[in-house]
Amino acid sequence: MRTTALLGPAAGQGAVQLMHGKVVLAVINDQSGVYADIGGKHGVEAVKMAVEDFVKKYGPNAVGGPIEVLSADHQNKPDVGASKAAEFYDRNNANAVIDVPTSSVGIAIAHVAAQKHRLFLNVGAATKALTNEDCNKYTFHWAYDTYMLAHGTGTEVTKRIGKKWYVVYPNYAYGQDMNRSFSAAIEKAGGKVMLSDATPFPNETEDFSTFLIKARTLRPGGVTVLGAMQAGQDLTNLVKQFNEFGLRQQGINLAIGLLFISDIHSLTPAALEGTIYTTAWEWNLDKQAREWSDRFFARDKTRPSFTVAGNYSATWQYLEAVRRTGTDDPDKIVAALEGYKFNDFFVRNGEVRKQDHAVIHDAYLAQVKAPGDVKEPWDYVRILNTIPANEAFQPLSENTCHMAR
Amino acid sequence: MARRIGWAALLAAGLLLPMRVYPVLAADILAWALFATAFDIMLGYTGLLSFGQAAFFGGGAYTAGLLTQRLGVPYPLNALAAALAAGLLALPLMGLAIRRRGIYLAMITLAFGQMVFYVVNEWRSLTGGENGVQGIPRPALGGVDISSSTAYYYAAFPLAVLGLLLCWRIVRSPFGRVLLAIRENDVRTETLGYAVHRYKLLAAVLSCALSGLAGGIWVINHGFVALDAVHWTTSGLVVIMVLLGGMGTRLGPLVGAALVLLLRDFISTWTDAWGVVTGTIFILVILIFRQGIVGTIERLLEARTRPAPAPAPAVEEVASPHRS
Repeated sequence: MRTTALLGPAAGQGAVQLMHGKVVLAVINDQSGVYADIGGKHGVEAVKMAVEDFVKKYGPNAVGGPIEVLSADHQNKPDVGASKAAEFYDRNNANAVIDVPTSSVGIAIAHVAAQKHRLFLNVGAATKALTNEDCNKYTFHWAYDTYMLAHGTGTEVTKRIGKKWYVVYPNYAYGQDMNRSFSAAIEKAGGKVMLSDATPFPNETEDFSTFLIKARTLRPGGVTVLGAMQAGQDLTNLVKQFNEFGLRQQGINLAIGLLFISDIHSLTPAALEGTIYTTAWEWNLDKQAREWSDRFFARDKTRPSFTVAGNYSATWQYLEAVRRTGTDDPDKIVAALEGYKFNDFFVRNGEVRKQDHAVIHDAYLAQVKAPGDVKEPWDYVRILNTIPANEAFQPLSENTCHMAR
Repeated sequence: MARRIGWAALLAAGLLLPMRVYPVLAADILAWALFATAFDIMLGYTGLLSFGQAAFFGGGAYTAGLLTQRLGVPYPLNALAAALAAGLLALPLMGLAIRRRGIYLAMITLAFGQMVFYVVNEWRSLTGGENGVQGIPRPALGGVDISSSTAYYYAAFPLAVLGLLLCWRIVRSPFGRVLLAIRENDVRTETLGYAVHRYKLLAAVLSCALSGLAGGIWVINHGFVALDAVHWTTSGLVVIMVLLGGMGTRLGPLVGAALVLLLRDFISTWTDAWGVVTGTIFILVILIFRQGIVGTIERLLEARTRPAPAPAPAVEEVASPHRS
């Protein structure tokens, strides 16, 4: 928990009425573990950048008081994350908690937000539980979810590459959800999951050989796709071992549930050539995205993953909502966000769905380029097609959120 | 007289705590103080070094959490159920473990602790595995509203104090005297006609049940419980608290628990490496003041009052940390 930015003038002069004289945004994410590279400090940086840009655009009195950014490392432990969140809300009067990768931690913090009646803008956690059984009035889900990933990748890979799958998933909320979502999407597309295995999370041994050997033994049974649902450091370990075992040469294709640009960067495109996956955004998607990414690169020296960009978008839209409503009263902000339609450098055709608080927007089916096609550093991805917002996310008819009924 | 003033001051400090520190942290101090004091019945008074106490603290926490979440059991019944569950769990586990002494006992209890950890991790349908038990509500008997952190602190306070008084009563009773004898020399105690095994078992079960009560108080404070509660680091932390404060002293475990938690809270505002600082303090205390903070203070006071005929009751004398 550190104060990382303090901007703006003394409180209480503008048209905006703040409850505690300032706006406090708390970023909680993994800053030391397997998910540190996909968000971590970069995610905090994006929130700080959004705050600075916002003040630049609307002047120092943008929200009627200073805007403070706090951050904490949740170590991928639900109890640590929930304690930190409660502390930020109670002691620091945090208006919103932002980011929170690792679905188990995200769900824990959603419960804290509901109890404290404060906002939780989730970007990093993928589980669709946040907009289904664990949904609540104060929790919003930005960027992506397991439905989006499974619906895009599961369907496409089943059609293009192979019908019989072996799925390995990390054994916690996110992985369990990915396993269920992928199985549903694969079956809908006419394929079948022959077997699925849970791997330890976080995988302290960094060893996936048991599962890779198992994949090989399933090959005679017609399994041609290994669906890996790991993310971050776990995924890079798994892919390295997959290549060492030479499984591709033995007729096993690798399908990846969740892939970030930082993963491709650390593995190199050669290790992932041709991999088809679903993404919420890419840094060089278009001119607008690229312009923002260049500015981010100038301060962070990395190309942003889509959750990093999502943090910026969530922060920006939150601050906009404070300006629109003239208050930081959480209930009024919720009302202002519900049903709100918007576009920014990250979100295209976006809408904050009132019924379940999913922020739906266009998603993209992408493919990792061959090393020969890479034109510049970090240029690893080709967008195959756009998945329109209303198809990319879970239809409301399937939604189990109590607010949707 | 001075003693009475001391107790009144301690009680007042307890009642004023949530005004000075974050109430959630204050209630954590209550829970951990009870956990450490209960564990000291085994460690300081009976000489049983267990490295698996997380099983009982965490087991209690999971029991109270699940009973509240699934069946809506109100406070304080959920916390009392946690004590009962931990006591029942201790009966077979400790029954086996106390057949050995010293390092063997430590290893067996560590192994039991790990077994409980893996059961909790694998029994996903009940415990949620890695995800833990989330969103535990906070109903109270008689519909009293204890949903605010401060209100809960004052609800937990009497229960924690009752637990502490029970711990202190146990070790100062004739039963406690036998435990001390067992700690000093269990073979001789046996030859004096005491059923040493039964005494050890009863001490362990009482200690574990009170640890479960502490777990119950803790889980309702946070509204969730995850694997960390049953992890071996929790067992280690309680050993550190007891040694830091002074084992076999009445207030030592309480002081140790409060110190560790307050330090962790204070240090973690500017670095995540709080373990380095508390670890260093722990090493220094163990090297320089082997009897812990309270143990050392007690010894200094004792040395000062020695020239006059000792007014302290005999129990106090026996209860001071052993000096071998």
